[in-house]
Amino acid sequence: MHHGYADRLVTKAPNWHGLVALDTLFNNMTSGLFLVAALGELFAPTVFAVVARAAYPIALALLLADLVCLVVELGDPLRFHHMLRVFKPTSPMSFGTWCLTVYALPLTVLALLSFLPNGALQWARRPAMILGLLPALGIAVYKGVLFSTTAQPGWRDARWLGGYLASSAVMLGAAQMLMLSMVMGQSQAAVALRPAVVLLLLLNAVSLGLVIWDVRTALTRAHERTTLGGLIFLVVGGGVFAPLALLAVGGPMMAGGAVLLILLGALLVRTEIIRLPHLLAQTPVRGR
Amino acid sequence: MAVREQELAALASGGDPPRSSLPELLDRLVEPFHRGAPPAPQVATGFYTDTTVCIGCKACEVACKQWNQLPADGFAWIGDSYDNTGGLSATSWRHVKFIEQFPADAARALPGTGPDLLDPGRWLMMSDVCKHCVTAPCQQACPTGALIHTEFDNVYIQSDICNGCAYCVAACPFGVITRSALDGHAHKCTLCYDRQRDGLVPACAKACPTQSIQFGPIDQLRERARERVANLHEGGVSGAYLYGDAPSPTYSELHSFYLLVDRPSVYGLPDTPFNPWLRMKGDYLRAAVCALAAIAVLLPLLLAR
Repeated sequence: MHHGYADRLVTKAPNWHGLVALDTLFNNMTSGLFLVAALGELFAPTVFAVVARAAYPIALALLLADLVCLVVELGDPLRFHHMLRVFKPTSPMSFGTWCLTVYALPLTVLALLSFLPNGALQWARRPAMILGLLPALGIAVYKGVLFSTTAQPGWRDARWLGGYLASSAVMLGAAQMLMLSMVMGQSQAAVALRPAVVLLLLLNAVSLGLVIWDVRTALTRAHERTTLGGLIFLVVGGGVFAPLALLAVGGPMMAGGAVLLILLGALLVRTEIIRLPHLLAQTPVRGR
Repeated sequence: MAVREQELAALASGGDPPRSSLPELLDRLVEPFHRGAPPAPQVATGFYTDTTVCIGCKACEVACKQWNQLPADGFAWIGDSYDNTGGLSATSWRHVKFIEQFPADAARALPGTGPDLLDPGRWLMMSDVCKHCVTAPCQQACPTGALIHTEFDNVYIQSDICNGCAYCVAACPFGVITRSALDGHAHKCTLCYDRQRDGLVPACAKACPTQSIQFGPIDQLRERARERVANLHEGGVSGAYLYGDAPSPTYSELHSFYLLVDRPSVYGLPDTPFNPWLRMKGDYLRAAVCALAAIAVLLPLLLAR
């Protein structure tokens, strides 16, 4: 008996590709760096203030890179500002756009203040840090929910994707701060951040495991067994265990290598997540 | 000869006004924020598509393209029936599906067996279109407010607002909305909003020669459809049922609903449509808990110094 269209995927993939994977990484890097820098400066200013002053301009540059990816990926980039016509809490994309907009203001202030000599307008630092915390948290939180709140195969099953990306943001922020501390010779900050990165990496690995479990059906349909095994080996081995080993060895070079591997692992995970419904669109549906 | 959407981009657009002047730029920036008064609500309208009387003539596809001035997509034979347009797209807002169910064809291939004369098989044909969901995931997703419900309670894309983010494409569980490669905006059936405003029947329903596509107030259509199902059951077509006429636990009712005689997936419809927004709160909660857990791990280590 002819099963008509039963072996076809009903949904259409949205044509989101490499730029969206980069946007997702930059989103986590900027929000995480801000969160860790601001929390460090607010709660332990003697240890983290110097590193935080360097972190804000970097977080702003990452935000700008994120915005460029977001805008270029649009079908009509000249209409980006249409995103600000409405505030729709039902749309994670609308919520995220507003979080990015609000976050940009205190972050820009802090980045500019970083270039002023000590004492000038420094009273504005603390309120700017406090004002930026909530939207930065919103940025870290919304991205995964944006993907999981769709009808796309793989994404729609990823209940922990928001959790993975949110905890990943804090982990990436700590890793970047560790790198900065080492480059700037802030040993006290580096000593505090090294165990933080280790623990956050482990916590993030747990949420990654939950995401992989959520999307296991889509993953096994999209990839051959050996390819999938290789991907998981790269992500877990290269993005989690290898950095842990390098951090355990110690030393600035090893820590730098660990941070680089963490970033590459994070990019690989995001690329595979974004690719999933597009890969499945080319794979016939079986067993319906 | 078929004209593909991309080919239109190569055509001269001498009629377009220049967009380089400052007033033009300001207008472009400010105009999207202007809002007129919304029109008064009207009686909700929609489509009822009775697939048992569809003959696959594609008059609906042609009428839709003609009225909405949509170019042809070229030919895309799916290879196992007469479907030659493949699916709904940014420039095909109606799509006629063909399913050939002839068990005798398979029986003929086996040595010593002949065709089953008691079951001669059947054609299934269905004119697919946007479902105009009452609670539409595309409308919930749209971050620009381009996707709205009109005064007729139909789902409509304001093409001057859409910026082509494609979130609606990702959100639609029926695979209806498509982002155009030509203008970068999302497009789909408007339920002939312009014709409705002028008191006319949508072009596809007007052109349908068998009344497979019926248009009207949604309550009347539902009543008519339920009577039709009862008649079919009396006539021995026990498999006839309505798809999308009533809400399910996971999806709202559709303002374009169908009378089907086989599983929804055979027609390329999801067997159990699910609105992704039902899981949004839980997903936000998990994400917030994970972020706060990470901060809770971080803070004691920062404070220890």
